[in-house]
Amino acid sequence: MGGLEKKKYQRGSATNYITRNKARKKLQLSLPDFRRLCILKGIYPHEPRHKKKVNKGSTAARTFYLLKDIKFLLHEPIVNKFREYKIFVRKLRKAYGKSEWGTAERLKDNKPTYKLDHIVKERYPTFVDALRDLDDALSMCFLFSTFPRTGKCHVQTIQLCRRLAVEFLNYVIASRSLRKVFLSIKGIYYQAEVLGQPITWITPYTFAHDHPTDVDYRVMATFTEFYTTLLGFVNFRLYHSLNLHYPPKIDGQAEVEVKPAEGKEYAMDSESYLEKLSALSASLARVVAPTQEDDVEMDEFPVEGETAEQMDARRKEQEALEKHKKLFEGLRFFLNREVPREPLAFVIRCFGGQVSWDKSLCIGATYDVSDPSITHQIVDRPRVEQQVVGRYYLQPQWVFDSVNAKLCLPVADYFPGVLLPPHLSPFVTEQEGDYIPPEKLKLLAMQRGEDPGEETEEEEEEEEEEEEDDNDKDEEEEEEDESEKEEEIKLKKMEEQKAQSNKALPVKVTAGKVRLEDKQRLEQEQQSEEKRLAIMMMKKREKYLYKKIMFGKKRKIREANKLAAKRKAHDTALKEEKKKTKKARRA
Amino acid sequence: MAAVAESLSFLGLTPSARDPATAVRRRNRGPRNRKKGWKRWAGPEARLGREIGDFLEDVTLQQRVAGGLIAEQPDAGLFFVDTGNAEKGRKRKNKIREKPLHIDLVLQPDSKVPPPKDILSHQIPNGKKERRRRQFWERLAQRGVLPRAERRLQTRLQNAAAPPRGPPREKAPEKGRVDPGRSFYDIWADDNPLERALVGQDSWFLQQTQKQRVKRPPRLQQKPSQLPAVEVIAPGGSYNPTFEDHQALLLKAHEVEVMKKRAEDKVERQLRFPTAAEAPTAETVFREQCEGLLEESEGEEEEEEEQKEEAVGGAQPSDPPRPPLRPGKKTEQQRRKEKEARAQELRRRQEKAWRCRQQQLFRLRSLGRQLRRWEQELLRRRRAREAKRREMEGRPRRLGRIKYEDPALEVQLSDELAESLRTLKPEGSVLHDRFKSLQKRSLIEPRERAKFKRKYRLKYVEKRAFREVTL
Repeated sequence: MGGLEKKKYQRGSATNYITRNKARKKLQLSLPDFRRLCILKGIYPHEPRHKKKVNKGSTAARTFYLLKDIKFLLHEPIVNKFREYKIFVRKLRKAYGKSEWGTAERLKDNKPTYKLDHIVKERYPTFVDALRDLDDALSMCFLFSTFPRTGKCHVQTIQLCRRLAVEFLNYVIASRSLRKVFLSIKGIYYQAEVLGQPITWITPYTFAHDHPTDVDYRVMATFTEFYTTLLGFVNFRLYHSLNLHYPPKIDGQAEVEVKPAEGKEYAMDSESYLEKLSALSASLARVVAPTQEDDVEMDEFPVEGETAEQMDARRKEQEALEKHKKLFEGLRFFLNREVPREPLAFVIRCFGGQVSWDKSLCIGATYDVSDPSITHQIVDRPRVEQQVVGRYYLQPQWVFDSVNAKLCLPVADYFPGVLLPPHLSPFVTEQEGDYIPPEKLKLLAMQRGEDPGEETEEEEEEEEEEEEDDNDKDEEEEEEDESEKEEEIKLKKMEEQKAQSNKALPVKVTAGKVRLEDKQRLEQEQQSEEKRLAIMMMKKREKYLYKKIMFGKKRKIREANKLAAKRKAHDTALKEEKKKTKKARRA
Repeated sequence: MAAVAESLSFLGLTPSARDPATAVRRRNRGPRNRKKGWKRWAGPEARLGREIGDFLEDVTLQQRVAGGLIAEQPDAGLFFVDTGNAEKGRKRKNKIREKPLHIDLVLQPDSKVPPPKDILSHQIPNGKKERRRRQFWERLAQRGVLPRAERRLQTRLQNAAAPPRGPPREKAPEKGRVDPGRSFYDIWADDNPLERALVGQDSWFLQQTQKQRVKRPPRLQQKPSQLPAVEVIAPGGSYNPTFEDHQALLLKAHEVEVMKKRAEDKVERQLRFPTAAEAPTAETVFREQCEGLLEESEGEEEEEEEQKEEAVGGAQPSDPPRPPLRPGKKTEQQRRKEKEARAQELRRRQEKAWRCRQQQLFRLRSLGRQLRRWEQELLRRRRAREAKRREMEGRPRRLGRIKYEDPALEVQLSDELAESLRTLKPEGSVLHDRFKSLQKRSLIEPRERAKFKRKYRLKYVEKRAFREVTL
């Protein structure tokens, strides 16, 4: 052999990775600064495939980064800013320690700051890239905007988050791009479709904060810092795509300025503007006043490789979407003070409804409770005194369920004090053979345009009948006697007829019957036959796979059936219980 | 006033009237075990002394009771005019209430000397300094100089009221990244302010002067995990779920709990104190101590016996003792022979290999089969590897000392479910959810909070003033 002995850990994966501490030393940053830099630049730790090799023979669990990533970080101008900031803090502390207030003032005026604009551009070279990563940004901004201003994080951050979140909400309203809402026990999930990208985010319920202790606030604040910058640029672009002013301007500004007295009660002018925006009740001003929309139908160009059926389906989908967007158009809502105002106002406005609330509840109320044109009043208390004729009093779930069902649901299930139907998750898509709960089935039927309400009514009627049965059995018995008599008469008549025909002619030519050839059935038979043959002709391995798949499907169906049976049992048990209580109440 | 006078009227002002014990105590002459105590305490000086003592005591008593010498008091302070019967009727009515209870009288402070002030309760920490400062700022305020915080507030108010008049500062401070009023621009447009300065310049120049940013490697555009950023909770997590969905979620939560319980039970079982049957007795302890010793000795005995037998049996076919190998030079003949043997061996091996190759020609088919089988095996292994990798990709990576652990499932029991949105009690925390999601997607490594470590031990001291009262 010969040659020099190769030293261990000097080539291969050992040289491709670098431990966190080494990387930190290479960048001359403290650990918190290093962590912040990595988050801002989007550089994440790696798990090497051969840990022992990378770790130079040791098996201790460590955090590794790719060496090339760290080398890339070395070029970042923000690193210098971090160092400057460290020095600034040192100087300031010294000035304070020596009680040199003038020096401290001067230092504070020259506090080093940095911006993340170039990092946003670098990490998201195109707008669509940014849109795809908006889920995190939105969730974070909405979360931080609900924080109390008690020093868990900077007040400025909270204000900025609130501003950006409100701007985004206003965009969603203006573009009518909300698709799904889901009220969970954790928070409210929303899904909007922005420029063809589905964007999901979660907002916490208001006043639901207990600050968990096992969360690193510094890390979260760093993420938020980056995401606020990103969301700001995205908002700007989105507003301009709709020809809206950015920063947003409320439409009909003059009208608002006529009565500024209302705003004065709440806050300073600078703050009340954001408050008015966050009320979500006013529409936004456009850069170019919208001209009368002449309904020019777009020319449709068939996409290559698309059949007429697919095109038809696409057009149908488009129409459904348009209809969905105008779900609440023409309806006027009024929110009582006990319902969560912001989510409801947001959802209603997203689908073209008009909304208002009590003037003392929040700024931006447009009409009063006593307005006769109100069609729906959202109420969340067991019973309502002083009901006004001509409007529905509904529980808030009606709004969310209607949005998810893409149609205005029948209001009877949602009256105040009524036991609500379950709130289904719109994020679940059932596949073929999956178990579908009866509530969803009903909903699907409604979407198809059928009326499933009859069934339940019939059932109820049956129940009532049963109850009546108990009351008056005697009458029924009499009826039964009568019906028996009638039947006897009928039988006699039939016999007579038969006898007559027999007597008339022993032989008879009956009219020929046209045997209907059921083309569909024949086709089906043909198809199934072909399928069976195809299965027979399969190779052994393929057949095995096929059988496995079919078995899985069957099992799924079986499980679904089991669940359905369980549900039925549960329902009947409930019904019986209800009946018992009813009887008990009667007795 | 009448009432006060009355209540006082119970007590006379003579020394003995107030405290009958004093009269008796006068006669005490001190300890009798000294000669001094035997003296009868007579003579003019002694009497004078006694009188002075009486006088002084009388004076203090008058001070205590009347707030000064009675002789010096004005008449109005000592007497009142009795104006007749008008009050008599009322007095009779309230007679019971008017007369104070004896116990209240005893407890009443009967000293006119005011109690000493509790200075501590009036003291303010840094009171003097604070007062000085307040006075200082008041003086400044008279001259029109306000503290900084107030000044800033005023300017803010004025700025908000009236937009900036006069020339602004030559260089407005750059609004930081977290300033709530900061502005944004179209960063994805062709002529954005970010790159406007660099447009149209020579790229080589930019590169050499380090004005062009280093390009981000495309490897960084991929995220470490393909999991969605916001994972929507299962349908059972709806605030008003269907029966089945809720049951499914409950089942999932139940399974997690069962696993936890099992692990806990295991630890408990292992740490449990042994029962009487399992507990070690003297015998088992002894056996444990002798563990290995007895068996070894037995084994050794056997071995020894064997060795003896061998020695007996092996001695008979007497081999001549081999001569020890002589170290030294090999002879020329030996070398030659060895060399020839080596060459022959080599030749033999080559021939054999050639023959084998010849034979393999006839095994072509089976060899082909072997190859195919081997290739299939390789394919299978590759697929398995890929499947494993795909499976691992969904899982959070191990990025540090601590493993990622799934957060506790948010679930509400059947009786906790809210009937309406108003009564809903949110479960879990969105902040926690976000944080765990970042960890799950391997964007940050799981860490545990740094523990607070005290440098010196705490020392407990009970202060006298707050000594604990034990009864």
